[in-house]
Amino acid sequence: MYRYDEFDAQIVHDRVKQFRGQVARRLSGELKEDEFKPLRLQNGVYLQLHAYMLRVAIPYGQLSPRQLRRLAHVAREYDRGYGHFTTRQNIQFNWVALKDIPDVLETLAEVEMHAIQTSGNCIRNVTSDHFAGATADEVMDPRPWCEIIRQWSTFHPEFAYLPRKFKIAVTAAEHDRAAIRVHDIGLHIRRRGEAVGFEVHVGGGQGRTPHIAAKVHDFVPEAEILDYLEAIMRVYNRFGRRDNKYKARIKILVSETGAEEFKRLVDEEFAAQRPDEKVELPRAEIDRIHAYFAPPPLSGRPARSEVFERAKAADAAFASWAEVNLYPHKQSGHACVTVSLKPVGGIAGDATDTQMETVADLAERFGHGDIRVTHAQNLVMPHVALDDMYEVYRALEAAGLASANESLITDMIVCPGLDYCNLANARSIPVGQAIQREFASVEDQRDIGQLHLNISGCINACGHHHVGHIGVLGVDRKGEEYYQITFGGRADEKAAIGEIAGPALSAEDVPPALKRVVNRYRELRTDPSERFIDVYARTGLEPFKEALYAADQER
Amino acid sequence: MTSVRPKLKPDVPKAITAWHTASGEVVWMTPKGDWTSNPDALGVFTGEVAEARLADARAAEGEVTDPYFMEVSETGEIRGRETLRETIRAQGPTTHPEFAKGEAL
Ligand code: SF4
Repeated sequence: MYRYDEFDAQIVHDRVKQFRGQVARRLSGELKEDEFKPLRLQNGVYLQLHAYMLRVAIPYGQLSPRQLRRLAHVAREYDRGYGHFTTRQNIQFNWVALKDIPDVLETLAEVEMHAIQTSGNCIRNVTSDHFAGATADEVMDPRPWCEIIRQWSTFHPEFAYLPRKFKIAVTAAEHDRAAIRVHDIGLHIRRRGEAVGFEVHVGGGQGRTPHIAAKVHDFVPEAEILDYLEAIMRVYNRFGRRDNKYKARIKILVSETGAEEFKRLVDEEFAAQRPDEKVELPRAEIDRIHAYFAPPPLSGRPARSEVFERAKAADAAFASWAEVNLYPHKQSGHACVTVSLKPVGGIAGDATDTQMETVADLAERFGHGDIRVTHAQNLVMPHVALDDMYEVYRALEAAGLASANESLITDMIVCPGLDYCNLANARSIPVGQAIQREFASVEDQRDIGQLHLNISGCINACGHHHVGHIGVLGVDRKGEEYYQITFGGRADEKAAIGEIAGPALSAEDVPPALKRVVNRYRELRTDPSERFIDVYARTGLEPFKEALYAADQER
Repeated sequence: MTSVRPKLKPDVPKAITAWHTASGEVVWMTPKGDWTSNPDALGVFTGEVAEARLADARAAEGEVTDPYFMEVSETGEIRGRETLRETIRAQGPTTHPEFAKGEAL
């Protein structure tokens, strides 16, 4: 993984020192909240319902065991013993005291972590495929390019005051696990012969007005990608709306301008760049960054592991977990392990200090020191040998981290909602837990198969409800919590925004209504391999809508 | 902070709530005008007194951050449009009963 050079380290340490001074001035009353707010936001500090929240960047979701242990330390010493992994592959601490935050940032800086650009109208953390560098379906490891884009976008003076926040996601795999089409810019790395280039999608996003990104370029050669990104950012900076925050995202600019015209503006800007403006990206520098992401030295192992097979035969729960939570690795005899942070009745994305330490230890012993955070709020150990899998599983199970539910209905994305968030209309976590309980049986979940259920507590859509196969959105009806249901959303290469089924339901009506919907799906599928989303593509909204509101007709 | 805060008529009983700046803890103004983290000890204000107390709190914004009015009954129970939000602020996340603070309202 990438290691800080002296400049990175200096910048991060200087920033901590600067923020320490700002916090001291706020605590002394010298700075009022109005003056302090933009400063704290630039350092990832929000004020939520109950306390300050600190959002720490995890570039493209990659962590070393040392970093994860340090996050565990922060959770234990400065928070209430846990942290919350987010859909942007970051972590949030919900209970840190402002007076302690400079110390927290200092301790994080020691392990090359920070909270810079995790808030505000700038380019945020670059996100990516959580299996990057490990799967056979990618044309190359996308992380070196994520890192190059991270370095380019960090403290880029021209893009520090954009009309609104800006999110870039990168994938290099045919199957899009990074949701690139619902990002401001989504990049898909492609190869043409020996040449590497980027398919560029612009103007995707969720929130109040969801949009799927428009493809504006099939192949920008790698040497030109930063200039091309700069051209997009300049067009956005110039024409993006600053008069209305609800219309300020690039998705509105692209949709109002039209994708064709937007592309023309970008091409014009790109052509107008003077030679001395071009970002020089020497081959040697590209190679240097790539070298940080050299694949781990996985020893050649037979595709079939006898130890693994014997353990599966002896322990049905392990067999079930292995079937659901393992993803094929490009190296035979290995697999990518999803560590579920979605136990039934738990809080999606939360991990305690000791759970973080367990994963750090396991990654060190069995996973070549590589840990990823997924945008679905789980953790991943991308390189584990099948021979070691049972031992890994047993340790995860003992730590409460072995729910066998990856991509199943209980593996839901859930935003913090009204239990924590100042902007919420309704709670997300309790309704998610109630749905989980309705579908708690592992056999039942496996029979239902892949089903992405996403929940947001307000239209800002941090819980990605627009792109859930089933989406649940909390709304406030005269002070009461109601939930609007959408069907047919998806975040992959066939990205789509879910359709609203109809009137919102009360909290207690949601689980039984979704049970009826899922049962209807089971009746409709031609065989168990036809997923919920496939049936939806074939039948459309009607049968699901009918099932959702069936109880009303019974009354 | 950014949530919509309903406008309350002068005669509606209200409490003044904010966050303790150094810790981030939720606090309420007591009848005497200092701050408490115990929701049972909050003061109930109306009319010009309420406005004056809020103005004082805003002017002295150092110890606390972003003070605002919330609707309560004459005896200090949370009520009105933001009952759920303010109850969660007062009691802690409903998903973490172990973090509950003060007495239930
Ligand atoms: S979707 Fe709304 S409620 Fe949920 S975290 Fe985002 S802003 Fe808060």
